[in-house]
Amino acid sequence: MTRIDPVTGAVIQGALENIAIEMGHKLMRMSYSSIIRESEDFGAALTDATGRQMCECKMSTPLQSGPIPGYVRNVREVMEQRGEAVRPGDVIMHNDPYGGASHGPDVAFCVPVFLDGALVAWSVTTAHHLDIGALSPGSCGIVDAVDTYAEGLQFKAIKVYDRGEKVHPVWHILRANIRAPELVVGDMEAQIEAARIGAARFLTLVKTYGTTAIDAAFEDLMDYSERLMRQAIAALPDGDYSATTHLDGYLDDPDPSRKNLPLVVTLKVRGDSLVVDLTGTAPQLPDKPVNMPLVGTVDCAIWLTIRSILLDSVTYGQIPQNSGLTRPIQIVAPRGCLANPIFPAPVIARFCSGNQLADTVMKALAQAVPHQVSAGIGNLRVVAISGLNEGNHWVHMEIMEGSYGGRYGMDGMDAVDTLYANTRNNPVEDIESHIPLRVDRYELREDRMAPGEWRGGIGAIREFTFLNDAGFSLEGDGHTYAPWGFDGGADGHVASLTLRSADGTERVLPSKVPYCKVHAGDKLISRGPCGGGYGDALARAPEVVARDVADGLIPADVALRDFGVVLQGGLPDVAATQAARASRRLHRDGQQTL
Amino acid sequence: MKAIGVDVGGTFTDLVYCDLGTGSLGIHKVSTTPDDPSRGVMQGITALCQMNGIAPSDIDYVFHGTTTATNAVLEGKGARSGMITNEGFRDVLHIGRHQRVEHYSIMQELPWQNRPLIQRQDRKTVAGRLVPPTGQELVPLDEDGVRRAATELRDAGVESVAICFLFSYLNPAHEVRAKAIVQEVMPEAFVTTSSFISPQFREFERFTTAALAAFVGPKVDRYIAGLGQALRRIGVRGDLRVMASNGGVATPRMVTDKPALTLLSGLAAGVLGGGWIGAQCGRSRLITFDIGGTSADIGIVVDGVFAETDARSTSIAGFPLLMPMLDIHTIGAGGGSIAHVDRGGAFRVGPQSAGAVPGPAAYGRGGTEPTVTDANVVLGRLDPGDFLGGDMALDVAASHAVIARLSETLGMGLLETAEGVLTILNANMANAIRSRTVQKGIDPRGFALVAMGGAGPLHGAEVAAMLSIPEVIVPPYPGINSAMGLLTTDLKYDAIRTQFQVSTAIDTDRIARDCTEMEAELAARLEDDGVAPEAVQFRRSADLRYVGQGYELKVPLPMGAIDAATIVQVWEDFHSAHAGEYGHAFRASPIEVVNLRVTATGALPKLKHMTAPEGGSLSAALVRQADCVFRGTEGLKTFSTPVYRRTLLPVDTPFAGPAILLQKDSTTIVPPGATACVHPTGSIIITLEAAV
Repeated sequence: MTRIDPVTGAVIQGALENIAIEMGHKLMRMSYSSIIRESEDFGAALTDATGRQMCECKMSTPLQSGPIPGYVRNVREVMEQRGEAVRPGDVIMHNDPYGGASHGPDVAFCVPVFLDGALVAWSVTTAHHLDIGALSPGSCGIVDAVDTYAEGLQFKAIKVYDRGEKVHPVWHILRANIRAPELVVGDMEAQIEAARIGAARFLTLVKTYGTTAIDAAFEDLMDYSERLMRQAIAALPDGDYSATTHLDGYLDDPDPSRKNLPLVVTLKVRGDSLVVDLTGTAPQLPDKPVNMPLVGTVDCAIWLTIRSILLDSVTYGQIPQNSGLTRPIQIVAPRGCLANPIFPAPVIARFCSGNQLADTVMKALAQAVPHQVSAGIGNLRVVAISGLNEGNHWVHMEIMEGSYGGRYGMDGMDAVDTLYANTRNNPVEDIESHIPLRVDRYELREDRMAPGEWRGGIGAIREFTFLNDAGFSLEGDGHTYAPWGFDGGADGHVASLTLRSADGTERVLPSKVPYCKVHAGDKLISRGPCGGGYGDALARAPEVVARDVADGLIPADVALRDFGVVLQGGLPDVAATQAARASRRLHRDGQQTL
Repeated sequence: MKAIGVDVGGTFTDLVYCDLGTGSLGIHKVSTTPDDPSRGVMQGITALCQMNGIAPSDIDYVFHGTTTATNAVLEGKGARSGMITNEGFRDVLHIGRHQRVEHYSIMQELPWQNRPLIQRQDRKTVAGRLVPPTGQELVPLDEDGVRRAATELRDAGVESVAICFLFSYLNPAHEVRAKAIVQEVMPEAFVTTSSFISPQFREFERFTTAALAAFVGPKVDRYIAGLGQALRRIGVRGDLRVMASNGGVATPRMVTDKPALTLLSGLAAGVLGGGWIGAQCGRSRLITFDIGGTSADIGIVVDGVFAETDARSTSIAGFPLLMPMLDIHTIGAGGGSIAHVDRGGAFRVGPQSAGAVPGPAAYGRGGTEPTVTDANVVLGRLDPGDFLGGDMALDVAASHAVIARLSETLGMGLLETAEGVLTILNANMANAIRSRTVQKGIDPRGFALVAMGGAGPLHGAEVAAMLSIPEVIVPPYPGINSAMGLLTTDLKYDAIRTQFQVSTAIDTDRIARDCTEMEAELAARLEDDGVAPEAVQFRRSADLRYVGQGYELKVPLPMGAIDAATIVQVWEDFHSAHAGEYGHAFRASPIEVVNLRVTATGALPKLKHMTAPEGGSLSAALVRQADCVFRGTEGLKTFSTPVYRRTLLPVDTPFAGPAILLQKDSTTIVPPGATACVHPTGSIIITLEAAV
């Protein structure tokens, strides 16, 4: 039963969502760096006084809004331990990856909301900042940090406004320790303004309806989301579903314990509850930052993947993202594994690990709901590029897209962000107008289409030329392990990165490259990963294969080799195709019998 | 001077005739003929002429709102189009911004991949490259390659071509040259370039806009040509003017050149109509609020200026569109919206709609879902015997049955459920209005709400109350407001140039030069359209942002000289606009001039004033007393409510709510506590008491 009448409940829900949207809209539009405004790598949410999430901005990136409850809970704990009071007018900065943050560059600004002297809610924005004072420029590609201290500044519940007064010393420290301080501080100010707007709007809402009604509506909303998730889990056959995938790790490292790292997921479905057990996952790397914070990265990766599959928004519409949605899911991760590292193990480059974990969760769930998943996804990679211009740093981060695997009844999505990330690329016309880079190529890879009844998504090839001397670093994965095919579909294709020097020499790079100097005229060539195929390629409609050929995605001989389709003047030759497919099936079955 | 406004909608084609000299007015409605909309248009014009005793040859202007381009995109039925673009960038249209539409979905579609405007096989690449900051040539255009590509496209049966090169907004030379070559090879084809359609940065968005133009171009061309012929056949010799998304009209030639201009024009006329009605009543700050069967459209007008969208917020069928257009916010909430209990047990209204068929249960056309209209019937707010002027009987029992079923699921009373449907719907609409007002630093308490569309006057007063908006204006003909709006337009053309200049090293001469050049281009265009130079008015503006930001705000630029002194005021205006829009300004930050814009308007004859209604008396207007349910501070209460015939109400004589006002194309609700009054221009003004 609901605590409040359904009409008022619906009205309050609409108002809450409207507040979160406004926060996100304003943050995105006010912010300076492309990682926030173009890539939309930010979060905005309201929580109750204890940190339970009430609503989030639907434009924000899942990996940013998702952790907000964890930030708030840890801010409260830390301040309680210190005996420090939260007061009206405070703004609290926090980025502790062992205290709720997904990683250090994702800095939260938390604004407490008070009604009649009592703390009633938190309005919080998070965003990925360009630089946080780590060992090399930028906040991506810090793949060689040896511990959390090497990852940049750590803020553990620091007041940047105290009862409405700006705490200047903190801002002086920030400016002195961060590269590109104008951009970063501008983004932080935008975050604070957006969080304050959320706080003001929520206060108006509470005053209109009263705390009792808001609390009741909020509890109902959490129950609502929980109910939907429990219904979806209950529809799965009880049982254990396991899957393993691998991270590249550090391919050029002589130490074998630093590469080929297994991620193991076992989903234990019991009635309307689900345990996600990560036992079997590789141990943490004590001095390499690909470890994933359990709270802030691992939990979000798991929740987001499960909801995207079981409560797909195409079928279910927008379900309120709140703490109720995660109640039926319990996560077990052995302490000291990649997915539950021990302080001060570094975590700043956890982005790709987390997305691979999300892919592993999907691979396990595929056994229970094969029609609701895609075959294996191509993981993402981030390139950070930086240089000096008259003593000032410029930093640019480019998220290199992956691709999805084929889906039941649909091909995979091509050249797109995958699973727990959903950022935007930078227009070529924006990059070249503002950064000394030339983009020479940005299009789909050809002849790298994973066969299946529904083909895998195709990755993008991107080529950049440096116009000035600069530096770059790469934080990626997926250079060794191809995305998994499903239900008879073929595996996809790995990603690669090549550095071609101005003198013509080429170097094929591993998926992690710490800061590396480059010269004017040097060129980076990135080939994105291609997702796995879904279903038997010999069942792909011949006219669709003919279009693949006409579109230049595969040559005609590959249509025959992989799909058994014979083309005649661009169109399928029906009889010849039938024959070719029959002989391929026979050959395949024969091989299986042997 | 005689003019006709014809607005083609999905179900009806609305027409208004006006003698602009005398102000006499006639309205008419015919069924839309979807296979060839011009047929319905001709039937309507012929009938309207007869009804008003004029000959088609007497008509000086036909103002026309068309959805031909819009429907081609929404239904995916455009021309087979080709594209010629830079080597290395074949898939700009396909990769987009590498972002998914939905965060939480595996089975989603990406419109640009699942429903491509131009297939990959029809996207050809050629060598040639321009570079910033000036559009200097780095690699010359491969003209033979262009010729080869055009030949391939022609042989493949492509009938229109978009030519899209990087940085063409800085230097259109390569696009212009390629276009000439393609036209030589394909003289029959519709050929357009991205710099002609929308010369501004962001290649995916600009190329997609050009692709949309190519996709709809041949169809729009045929429709406009056919319409012109059909008009001449029935004897109309006056000029045809077509509604554009920017809130102005364009000549047939302009629309044929830039067919994307009409893509989002369907809603623009409605906002214009609302703005005009508000101005008639002497109100300068207006929220136009147009509710039909499936959606509600919201627009903002301040001092006669209509809010426009920024370049990054406009899209059609999931495709971005870089075109100046009025900012009209649409949500899925209307009379046909279905009330339901969702899988998680929550009470929801919309966005699914019963549409016109089967429609609400009350329509008796087989509708079995409880809709907003049914809730209005149950509460006694719609008169079952006088709906659409009595043309359609409402099935009260059917409405009760579907709302009763919903109330059982919810465990609520019948009236509470019906009233809840309206409260949830109204709250959704109030949130939508908040997103365009409160969230942009505009206080709706200083505005009047113009309630239009068949269902606007039913909900306007209660939505206004939720937002503390003090006044609601109900136009004389709320149901044909778009056709009225068509008679209030000017020719309006836009030009844009990307600058990327920074305030710390500003070249004001370059700004002045670009503005003057754009003004000359637009003046020439309008002169070709027969507008005398002295009848042309220019408006300059600039899209500005703080250096590093990605979203621009539009700030007016002064006419005349632009120099160091005037530019300082522009920076100041930007800081203020930023503070107004987002609640904060970064005054120490340098400002980047991203785009310059010039809008030219060529004045056209238009509606001047509404003739005053004759007026009657409350007793003459009274049809009957009805029992009606409203929410008060103490919960739901039934009021004995007078039902008036709107046309018989006295002018300038306030009367208290509750009251229901009947007219053929709408029903107006005056809630308890509100006061209504017929304005001398025929609109009804509802004044709300100290609102919630």
